[in-house]
Amino acid sequence: MATRTEEDFTEATRWRRRPRPTFAWVAQVVSGVLLLVLLTAHMVAQHFVVDGGLRTYADVVAWIRNPVVFAVEALLLVCVTWHGIAGVHAVLLDLGLRGRAERIVARVLLDLAVATILYGLWLLYMLAFRG
Amino acid sequence: MMRAGLRRGDGRRLVPRWLDPHGRHLGTWAFVANRLTGLGLVVYLYLHLVILSTLLRGPEAWDGLVELFRRPVFLAFDVLLIVGLAFHGFNGLRVALVGSGLLVDRRKGLLVAAGILVGLVTLVAAVRIVG
Repeated sequence: MATRTEEDFTEATRWRRRPRPTFAWVAQVVSGVLLLVLLTAHMVAQHFVVDGGLRTYADVVAWIRNPVVFAVEALLLVCVTWHGIAGVHAVLLDLGLRGRAERIVARVLLDLAVATILYGLWLLYMLAFRG
Repeated sequence: MMRAGLRRGDGRRLVPRWLDPHGRHLGTWAFVANRLTGLGLVVYLYLHLVILSTLLRGPEAWDGLVELFRRPVFLAFDVLLIVGLAFHGFNGLRVALVGSGLLVDRRKGLLVAAGILVGLVTLVAAVRIVG
């Protein structure tokens, strides 16, 4: 799932010889662009327009109960987890991880991503519907 | 001819390509910095989830934490976080554009633009957070 290989590492200087983009590279770019939008919305709505920068418990629960906010925060959770875990995997590949060790690490990272997303969604659910 | 870089006698690299400081351009350093800020942000993602889990313990636990996070040391950390997010976001967009073969001839301009945007976002955020 390498996003870049040593061959094309120097970015523009060798861009004409770059290999075809992998799914991981495209997914990383798409999730990154989505994150620019979602994180900006998150930071502005959750922190910058809030008096004191952080919502009280009651305000957090009321905010998360808005279906649009719930959906945006859930999408943010999925995007940020994918982008982060795939990024860690790409860094490990750059550091030379290969073979069986790479497959094991990739599986662990995938499990970690799934667990993170499930936990985050459960947290959102608990706050919105049980808070 | 021996290629440049930190290498053993047999020509193999002593350190991974992206950690080797030899013959690097500013854009490549920015790429490496993007990787390092990304790893830092992944650590923060899990720290953030742990902190948000405090919401499950009810209003007293969360509102007490909010008071703690309004102390100057945590506000300084918030500004550092914004720097990391802005750098990773805007520089990541630059890496994605150049890595995809777009605006390759303007890569230096993109780097300057990313730097200016990071500075502006940091300034606005610092004024909002500390002010």
